[in-house]
Amino acid sequence: MTTTAEPTRTEHAVVGQRIPRIEGRKKVTGQSVYAADVSLPGMLYAKLLHAPHAHARIKGIDTSRARMLEGVESVVTASDLPQFEARRRSNRAYVLLASDEVVFAGQPVAAVVATSSAIADEALDLIAVEYEELPVVLDPVAAMDPGAPLARQPIEEIDRSEARGHATVDVREEEGAGKPTNVASQVRFTRGDVAQGFAEADAVVEDTWRTPFMHQGYIEPHATVAGFDPVSGELTLYTGTQGQFFVRDQISNMLRIPETKLRVVGMELGGGFGGKVFLTQALASVLSFIAKRPVKLVYTRTEEMTSATPSGGCVAEVKLGMKRDGTITALDARLIYDTGAFPGASAVVGAILLGGYYRFPNLDIRSYEVLTNKVSVGAIRAPAAHNATFAIESALDEACRRLGLDPVETRLKNAVAEGDEMPTQQKYPRIGLVETLQAARESAAWREREAWKTAAPPGTKRGVGLAIGGWLGGLQPASAVVELNGDGTINVVVGANDITGTNTAFAQIAAEELAVDVSEVSVVTGDTRTAPFAGMSAGSKTLFTVGRAVKEAAEDARRQIIAVARERLGATEEDELELSGGEVRIKGQPDKALSYRRLGGITTGFGAAYAPIIGRGSITARRQAPGFAAHVAAVEIDDATGEVTLRRWTTAQDVGFAVNPLNVEGQLQGGSAQGIGSGLWEEMVFDVQGHLRNPSLLDYRMPTAADLPDIETILVETPSEDGPYGARGVGEPSIVPGAAAVANAVRDALGVRVNDAPITPERVLRALGRI
Amino acid sequence: MKRPITLKINGQRHDVLVEPSATLLEAVRDQAGLMGAKEGCGTGDCGACSMIVDGRLVTSCLMLAVEAEGSDITTIEGLARDGQLHPLQQAFIDLGAVQCGYCIPGMILAGKALLDANPNPAPDEIRRAIAGNLCRCTGYTKIVEAIAAAATQLQGATP
Repeated sequence: MTTTAEPTRTEHAVVGQRIPRIEGRKKVTGQSVYAADVSLPGMLYAKLLHAPHAHARIKGIDTSRARMLEGVESVVTASDLPQFEARRRSNRAYVLLASDEVVFAGQPVAAVVATSSAIADEALDLIAVEYEELPVVLDPVAAMDPGAPLARQPIEEIDRSEARGHATVDVREEEGAGKPTNVASQVRFTRGDVAQGFAEADAVVEDTWRTPFMHQGYIEPHATVAGFDPVSGELTLYTGTQGQFFVRDQISNMLRIPETKLRVVGMELGGGFGGKVFLTQALASVLSFIAKRPVKLVYTRTEEMTSATPSGGCVAEVKLGMKRDGTITALDARLIYDTGAFPGASAVVGAILLGGYYRFPNLDIRSYEVLTNKVSVGAIRAPAAHNATFAIESALDEACRRLGLDPVETRLKNAVAEGDEMPTQQKYPRIGLVETLQAARESAAWREREAWKTAAPPGTKRGVGLAIGGWLGGLQPASAVVELNGDGTINVVVGANDITGTNTAFAQIAAEELAVDVSEVSVVTGDTRTAPFAGMSAGSKTLFTVGRAVKEAAEDARRQIIAVARERLGATEEDELELSGGEVRIKGQPDKALSYRRLGGITTGFGAAYAPIIGRGSITARRQAPGFAAHVAAVEIDDATGEVTLRRWTTAQDVGFAVNPLNVEGQLQGGSAQGIGSGLWEEMVFDVQGHLRNPSLLDYRMPTAADLPDIETILVETPSEDGPYGARGVGEPSIVPGAAAVANAVRDALGVRVNDAPITPERVLRALGRI
Repeated sequence: MKRPITLKINGQRHDVLVEPSATLLEAVRDQAGLMGAKEGCGTGDCGACSMIVDGRLVTSCLMLAVEAEGSDITTIEGLARDGQLHPLQQAFIDLGAVQCGYCIPGMILAGKALLDANPNPAPDEIRRAIAGNLCRCTGYTKIVEAIAAAATQLQGATP
């Protein structure tokens, strides 16, 4: 069941309504075109050979037998490829194929281009690579030791361009000690006097929480078709990406192609969750240059697991002090993010959030990004947030238990609000954490918890837990165009790749501002040569930024409509014009009206007297709109097996203003499911050699329909200052508290705490001392 | 050595030429040109390639094309009639069960296979029936609601 705390929506006609997704018919009939569905004339197929070792030196590669296979067009290794400057070598996407050093098992070392993917696959087996194995570094804590072997040759400067699309923070990383280490970056935040804070505490919780590598789990594998035309020198990419303009900029930079000769067409995207921005597009492009024909590169699921950019693991050492009345006195913490073989873990963001939910009078947080010989990491929905939140929300829950305090009231007592400082000393704008906690407190799952627990079936124990979490949000400029067609309908053109229903929301915004039914509006995502610029669809900022641009463009179009109508209708300066039901009219004079159809005619037809109506919106975003969620988990644990079954789940989240509650609920439910997965099942397991032991969707356990209860959503609306109609980003906060809510429910049921996620039956039985 | 076979897809004959090792998914997408079924894993774990073959829901990435010769194959393209959506398709749109859409062709066919066998399923039965179809966007709540709503509508339509 889904309940929505529906606010009064009388102010608006179209925004705030539950409008089904405008591209829905295409999706339910199988007509939507994803990148892997694209075929071009003369297209070839690429397959990649991956390193079997987590750390090795390549002594030699013999491709001669592979080249001789019928149907093979080319076999490419690093020596055939352009090399990029040192700074870019820190960026996984710039290291197209491993050259001398392999740094994780699964790293691409060679590519075959052939007339069919079956032939390309066959040719991979004919490539002989000679490796010299090197010491493997896997434990990020041990890797921080100054004497530890290095996971890879030292990196000098780090390219963070992609990470900034997900979270916009301006924090200077600390300088390293000079000697090369596995610590790629480190940051420290301090406030007050931590020792004094602990001296004032009545309870101090000190423990270590671990979260593993987790996969974004999009169902569509990475896919790109790159078509280089040697005659015009133009490169066209059909690709699945969250950020087509980012892909354009990166390819232009890497391959020195002017953006006038580069067209990136972001196709329908089969899920991204931060993990599908820029990875294989450059390699596909280079392979197309070499072949002088279009090349298709589609990842297999095994490649997705071993050779994409999942989310890294984290070891969080947290010490929290609390007074008997629930006041938090101090936080001392060390976060160690395992970033795999390339920098990419958002250690800074993790530290900000760890110390950012509550008013810690004293804090000292050190956060590290540590290189190991595991697959390089990328963003996930709220990168680095769920790891830190698992630790702080578990620690806070534990402190409440030790002092016999109510977990909701204690959180409310310490929760941040507008004007409070983050660890960076940046002040929060208007936020709704308090309102969100209050909404969760009023939910049935929370209010009925004692009765529900008492009704546990024989052989089981029940527990209910709560946790909060948030996301600060990304910032990036955006633009949009809104035009009136000849028949009076409305076209909206944007450059943002729609994953979450943002184009439907843009249609609602244009319909609202121009007073038409949403069915009169079409929204198209153009490609990078035709669309106005938009930032990456990441960082929960698409509606927040592009939505503002659409609103501004629609307002611009409205002004033009009124100007034309004023002249056409012979309105006086005192007359007020209004837009309603697809026409513009003089207020109080119902016969003085001009329909949009007529307006379309007189602004586009032969000999038309007026210029076309074309509204332009172009904005920059300077202030974030952080969003917070509170999750309530109700679990039932089998006494004999230790298996945790989730019975109820409620999520309350401050969404600012739900432009489309139907889609917003869907975001909250999907994010919750991922958070639950991180709490109960999802873990990329590496063996002692650094090989991933579960590189399939059978063994990497994402939640199925049978694993989950209905997810109840409560939409809290604390308007943001800058979002359209007060909207704030909703995608990311929804995953953040998941694992902590599960852990707190397990603690409630069993009386013992499991500090390692996911909370598997084995870990439950260990915590109980049964194995 | 390629083999000519005839596949009966959505009631239409498709004469295709396939390698003996080609999967049903490959034949339907690459030879018959019906791109609605998706490959998410190639190992039968995600359900994105689901089709209904002789009344049974199959992961078409695990079935050889030559095995499907002579069978009745239903893909997502076969559900709408004359531009009229199947009640499952309409319910998926109206109730917000569609997000990125990649799992949706397989998910709707899993729903259809269920409703063909059990026209009035309980929510738990719906959840079990689609447990082989992974969706990463929705958390399944709205998908279960959509299948239940379509069941109600289909039952109302039956005299």
